Amino acid sequence: MRDQVSVYTNKLIADRSALAQGIAIAAQDDVLIAEGAPDLARLAGDVLSRLTCLGMVVACPSLPFADFLVARAPAGESCIVPHDTETRTFLHDIPFLRRSDLGADPAPLIARLLGSRKGVVVEGVGIVATGALTVEQAYINYSSVFHSTFVKYLQDVLHHGFILPGEAEAFAAFRSQWLRPLTHEGLAFRPGPLAERDEILDEIATVGRYTVERGLVDSFFGNISYRAGEVIYISQTAASLDSLAGCIDPVPTDNSSTFGITASSELLAHRRIYEATGAATILHGHPKFAVIMSMECAEEGCAITDCWKECDRVRFLGDTPVVAGEIGAGGLARRVPPAIAGPRKAVVYGHGVFTVGETDFADAFRAMVAVENWCRREYFRRLEERLG
Amino acid sequence: MLGWAGAILNIDLTSRTAWREDLSAELLHAYLGGRGLGVRLMRCFHTLDPFDPAMPLIFAAGPLCGTPAPTAARLTVVSRSPLTGTIYDCSAGGRFAWRLKGAGVDALRLSGRSETPVALVVTADGVEFVDVPELWGRTVPETVAALSGRGSVAAIGPAGENGVLFANIMMGEGNSVGRGGLGAVMGAKGLKAVVVNGDIPVAVADRERFDRARQDVMRLFRASPVIFGELGIAEYGTPALVDLMRQRRMAPTENFRHTVFEGSANYSGPAIRSAYQAKKDGCYGCPIQCKKSTPRGEHLPEYETVSHFGALNGIASLDAIVKSNTLCNELGMDTISAAATLSAWGEVRGRFPGGEEVQRLLADTAFRREDGELLSLGSRRAARALGRPELSMEVKGLELPAYDPRGAYGMALAYCTSNRGGCHLRAYPISHEILRKPVATDRFSFSGKARIIAIAEDTNAAIDSLVACKFSFFGATLEEYAELLSAATGIEYTPQSLKEIGRRICLTERFYNCANGFDVKDDCLPARFFAEPGSSGEGVDIPPIDRARFDEELQKYYRIRGLTPAGTFADPDFLLTQP
Ligand code: SF4
Ligand SMILES: [Zn+2]
Ligand SMILES: [Zn+2]
Repeated sequence: MRDQVSVYTNKLIADRSALAQGIAIAAQDDVLIAEGAPDLARLAGDVLSRLTCLGMVVACPSLPFADFLVARAPAGESCIVPHDTETRTFLHDIPFLRRSDLGADPAPLIARLLGSRKGVVVEGVGIVATGALTVEQAYINYSSVFHSTFVKYLQDVLHHGFILPGEAEAFAAFRSQWLRPLTHEGLAFRPGPLAERDEILDEIATVGRYTVERGLVDSFFGNISYRAGEVIYISQTAASLDSLAGCIDPVPTDNSSTFGITASSELLAHRRIYEATGAATILHGHPKFAVIMSMECAEEGCAITDCWKECDRVRFLGDTPVVAGEIGAGGLARRVPPAIAGPRKAVVYGHGVFTVGETDFADAFRAMVAVENWCRREYFRRLEERLG
Repeated sequence: MLGWAGAILNIDLTSRTAWREDLSAELLHAYLGGRGLGVRLMRCFHTLDPFDPAMPLIFAAGPLCGTPAPTAARLTVVSRSPLTGTIYDCSAGGRFAWRLKGAGVDALRLSGRSETPVALVVTADGVEFVDVPELWGRTVPETVAALSGRGSVAAIGPAGENGVLFANIMMGEGNSVGRGGLGAVMGAKGLKAVVVNGDIPVAVADRERFDRARQDVMRLFRASPVIFGELGIAEYGTPALVDLMRQRRMAPTENFRHTVFEGSANYSGPAIRSAYQAKKDGCYGCPIQCKKSTPRGEHLPEYETVSHFGALNGIASLDAIVKSNTLCNELGMDTISAAATLSAWGEVRGRFPGGEEVQRLLADTAFRREDGELLSLGSRRAARALGRPELSMEVKGLELPAYDPRGAYGMALAYCTSNRGGCHLRAYPISHEILRKPVATDRFSFSGKARIIAIAEDTNAAIDSLVACKFSFFGATLEEYAELLSAATGIEYTPQSLKEIGRRICLTERFYNCANGFDVKDDCLPARFFAEPGSSGEGVDIPPIDRARFDEELQKYYRIRGLTPAGTFADPDFLLTQP
């Protein structure tokens, strides 16, 4: 259990979603352990001991966006409702507690909110997330909340500008210091086609790690595959892209075996994309600016309300098509393949990016970097336009 | 009260009388329905012999039954198992629960014993006792055919009549109330069938909230590869697990002597689909439809059944496996226990039965003739009688299903802590150890497993009390089901409060078991798993389980549960502290 605590503390630091001095993780086996920043660790232990859960992360996010969302929320509101796929599917909404609600001992209050949600925002404290069965699950839920609040805040700023004192300065610091140039430079890809099974598995694991290290995806969002003849090698469902060794399923294209039942929920999408493109590799991630920009629809008077799944238009971000569609059996697998066939890249509304490579991962990786960079530039262009 | 009918129908088969009784809101809120309600209603009866006429047999629906909540139109039957001696519950699909609730009650509680074969017909207007001497001795399909004009049927076959210790109660649509021998409890009461036919609608407190939660559930089903994935259970049924268990090298083979069976590809999901043109089928009110049947409507076997009539007995013929399954369904017998008992018996005599021999032996078992007399007692009693008790692969007398514990240590622990004996469905760690839902855990590690098992037992006890299907939780979570329940009943439930209810139910069950003499000695796997390795290979090592580590984790489980090191209750008045 203690080893898990240090693994996920380090992950939170490495993925830069939490401040290194502001992380605590608690876990209960037959005894409760809570480690990390002392105040937060005490809180984590106090909250976790009230819940039927194994793990808990309490951390101060590396960006103040969640707190800004709370401060920007109208009085009387008690939860943040982002519209990205992550939230819609797994979080539903994100309850928050305002600083003024906390009192001397906020643990019972936080525990009550966490009794019905995977993660909450506590103003001035950070994001508190539970893991019903593992510490990893608490880390995943923390990351989901971080991702969703990031996306939602940037959308809000684009639509409504800065409202609070200090926001513009914090945002400028985010832009100049937190964000880093996104590039594929310096990465080595094995030139394809790859024939040997071990080589394929190793390359998938390597490229998976690249996507996380370069900040294209949060480690467990997204999936990656390689097609060799009649077999699709694909990352497993809920696998961390930066530790894929042993988590890649070889799935026969003719469905003669079902052991790929543990493969990513996007297996069908990957299969159809291979059929539509003849490509050899697929990368799928949730880079944040692409997610944000995919939800910026300029269409006026559109009758569709559930755009994320119902919209049957193909829009464009630069030369990248955007389509709607839900995860898994929800239509994404139907809409992405025709859209991606020509441009070799596509964005799914509120969700993420798919790119393909003809024989290896180099093209796919480069394309994903390019899409995200385009969306990032476009975001700031529009923001500047709006702020004047 | 919304969600619940607020009443139970008591039936005394000895005097042929029936009376309705109100169930208090407090009790229903604290135990939900299904398993929880049934277990609560067993209080004070829990030490009776399972065949004592006063022993209740309880049929219970849940608060979501009658609403469009996905997979929640299920029924739970609760009593004490004649096979294991433990408190026992099992859930099954079909329209029965829906029609039972439609008759204006949450549960039926049957007790007494009819001198002559009887069937019950329950409607909103009352109860009719129908003499059915002509149906005694009939198969399940014959019985269902004779009664289905009157409503939804739950019936026993010859196995239940003859007291086979693993006899099922079979639902008219083919679903079974299986494993623990509640069919024999029903048979001992002289009760051939229960027919229910009500259609009083169930109101939902907040329709909009309910629909939103339902959509959330459906979105999660679509996002789950195990449920709606193209290789998932909606496509291939639970035999989708055959290839996976083969690949993970944990398919019990030849009475658990090995963990890989070379012939398993013959009965994989794709093999069954192509051999039988399998079509989707499933429980009433379920969008998943994980069961499969032939175009003629013959039910095709589940994963545990194909694997146990297959690998466990060294049989590679799909045809023979399907016939064995059909025969068990007709005779009203549990497939897992039947196949495992045959396998243990096969190892004792030095030869596993072949396909046709299995079918003859199944018939003999149901009618308790020749070798079937011994086989009808289950593997523990049979192996003991033959002088080889160590060859019975069970926990608390309940035969282990098709997940070798050497391949998943949480499963090893869960088999032992399960209150109804060697069952995979209580904590259901296969979900995370193998299927990676809701997160993956390391199957070859005991680390954290005691806590994980306790939490999962609580969670699943709540699910079994709703009564929803566990397969829903390969996608959805208690978050969405708490919403459905709150919207249906108008009472606020949260995942945390549901898990607390689940904990109360698990502890109540454990308390009953302790009262019947169960303790740490019964929470143990057969010695084979600690002494012999499984079939290592293909880069996967399957060593024997480390006994010391297992015991350590079991003790952790007891501490987490607040039990003594002997696995018992320090407080003899525990039940009195519960609602
Ligand atoms: S998933 Fe399968 S077993 Fe569960 S309710 Fe649906 S059809 Fe029945
Ligand atoms: Zn995705
Ligand atoms: Zn639109």
